[in-house]
Amino acid sequence: MLAALLSRSLARHRALIIAVAALLSAFQILDIVVAYNLQANNVYAQFASLVPAFIQEAMGGVLVGSFPAAIALGFAHPLVVLSLSCVAIYLASEPAGEVEDGLVDLVVARPVPRFLIVTRSALVFVVGSTAIVAAMFITSRITVRSLSPATAAALPALRLGWVAANLLAIVWCFGAAALALASHVRERMRAAGTLELLAVFLYLLQFGAAAWNPLRPFARVSPFHYYEPMRTLLGSTLPAKDIAGLLGASVVMLVLAYVLYAKRDL
Amino acid sequence: MADAVRTESLTKYFGAVVALEALDLSVAPGEVYGFLGPNGAGKTTTIRILLDLVKATSGRALIDGLDSRTASLEIRRRIGYLPAEMPLYREMTGGRYLDFLAALESRPVDLSYRRQLFSRFDVSDVDLRRRLDHLSHGMKRKFGIIQALMGRPALLILDEPTSGLDPLMIEAFAETVHELKTEGRTTIFLSSHVLSEVERLCDRVGIIRRGQLVRETSIADLRRDTPRRLRVFFDGPAPPPPPALARAVRRSDARHWELEWAGPLGGALGAMQGLPVADIEIEPFKLEDYVLQIYSGTAEGGH
Repeated sequence: MLAALLSRSLARHRALIIAVAALLSAFQILDIVVAYNLQANNVYAQFASLVPAFIQEAMGGVLVGSFPAAIALGFAHPLVVLSLSCVAIYLASEPAGEVEDGLVDLVVARPVPRFLIVTRSALVFVVGSTAIVAAMFITSRITVRSLSPATAAALPALRLGWVAANLLAIVWCFGAAALALASHVRERMRAAGTLELLAVFLYLLQFGAAAWNPLRPFARVSPFHYYEPMRTLLGSTLPAKDIAGLLGASVVMLVLAYVLYAKRDL
Repeated sequence: MADAVRTESLTKYFGAVVALEALDLSVAPGEVYGFLGPNGAGKTTTIRILLDLVKATSGRALIDGLDSRTASLEIRRRIGYLPAEMPLYREMTGGRYLDFLAALESRPVDLSYRRQLFSRFDVSDVDLRRRLDHLSHGMKRKFGIIQALMGRPALLILDEPTSGLDPLMIEAFAETVHELKTEGRTTIFLSSHVLSEVERLCDRVGIIRRGQLVRETSIADLRRDTPRRLRVFFDGPAPPPPPALARAVRRSDARHWELEWAGPLGGALGAMQGLPVADIEIEPFKLEDYVLQIYSGTAEGGH
C-alpha cells in the first residue's frame, strides 16, 4: 500500500523535482566555474574586502574570499536555500491538496490507514529534497574535480557532505512544518503559501540579526540560524548538534502531523 | 444477524450548520436501499461518516455491527464506494488509475471479473490507455463504477451512480445491480436524484430532509399507501359519487370524476359497480410525485 501511494505521489511531483534538481545543479556548475575564474585571476582578496562583515556572517561566513567559500555559496545562496525549502514545503503540502481536490476520498475509502498518508508525504518531501541536494552535491564534486583537481583534494567530500546534510535538515524542518499544517487545513495553497512566507521571513530574520544586534535573540527561532556552511567547509566546526536540533524539531512537527491528520474531517 | 448499515442518533454539525440531526436508519444485509433527499439534506455527509472520512459530532454509524470509528479499517475492507464527484488524477490513464486503486485493496482484485466489467460497461483497451482528463464525463463515471465494483465488496455505497451515463450504460448498471441482488451477497446503499431508477432498483428508501430522516419505507409499501389518481368517465351525465367514494373525489364535472384513492384499488372499483362507467384512467405509481411532496414538506413523514 505504502509503495503504491509513494510511487503515485513521486510520479505526480517528478517533473518538479527533476526541474529543480537540474536548475540547482546548473547553479553549482556556474558558481564553480565563476569561482575558478576568480581564483585564476587572483581577485578573492579584493572581493572579500568589499563585502560587509554582517553580510558574510548572515550567509554563514560564505563570502570569505576563497575557492572553497565560493563552492559553499552554491549551498548557501538565498536562492538555493529558499527554493529548496519551498520545494519541500510544496511536496509536504500534498495532503491538503488531496482533500481540496477530493482525491483522498477514493484512497481513504479503501482500507488505507490514515497514518500512511502522512508517512507517504513525509517520505516524498524527504526523498524529493534529498534527490535534489544529492544532484547538487554530485554536480559540485564532478565540476570541481574536472576544473581544479588540486582544490578538490583540499576540499574533502565529507565536509561538503556535512554542509549538504545541514541544508537538508533545514529543508526537512520546513517540510515537516508544512506537513503538520497540511494535515489540518483543506487548501494546499494555504498550507504551502503560509509556510513559504514563513521561510522567507525566517531567512530575513536571520539576515537582519547579523546586521542588528537587538534581533539576535529572536534569530534563534530561525532554522537558518543553525546553518554555517563556510565554517563547516573549512573544517572549523561540525554541524552535528545543529543537524540534531533541526531533526528534533522536524520529528516534533511530524508527530503533530500524524495527530492532526488522524483527527481531521476529510 | 446485524444490519448491514445502521445509524443511531447520528448527528453532525459543521460549526453552526446542522448537517445531520439524530439520524436513525437501518439497511438489512442483501438489501438495495435508496437514500434520497434534496441537495444539502445530509446524504453525502451520512455516506462520509459511514466511510469514516468525516467524524460524527455524536451518535454512531455501524457497518455489519462494527463501529465506523473504532473499526474503521475493517469496515473499509468491506466497502466499495463511488462518490458523486469522481476525483481523478488527471495525468493518469484509466487503466493505471484502476491498478493504483486495486493496489490499495486488502486483497487482490479478480482481474477476470474486472474484464467482465470492462465488457459490460463498454470500456475498450483504447479507453484504458487514454488519460483521464481526455475522457468524457460518462466514461469517467464508468471508471468510477468499475473501481467501486472491482473488489467485489460486501457493501456498495454509490452516490449518484448513473449521473452522466447514457441509457445503454444505465441499463448495464441496472443489470449489474439486479445480478448482485440475485446473488444476495452484496448490500447496496444508493443515493440518487433519478427517482425512476430508485423505484426500479431499490427494495426500500429512506428520505432525508434537513438532516433528518422523514420517511423510511419499502417501495412496495409506498405503492400500497400512496394515493393513486383515477379519472372515471361516464356514459352520459356523471352520477353523484356513492358514500364510499365521496371523500376521494377531488374534482368532478358533467362527464367525469377525478379521485385520489389510498390503498388497494379493489375498494374503489367495487364502489363503482352498477354505475354507467365508460372508462377509467389510473395514473401509475410514481415515486417522484411522493418524494417531491416530501422534499417540499407537504407529505406526511414518519417511519
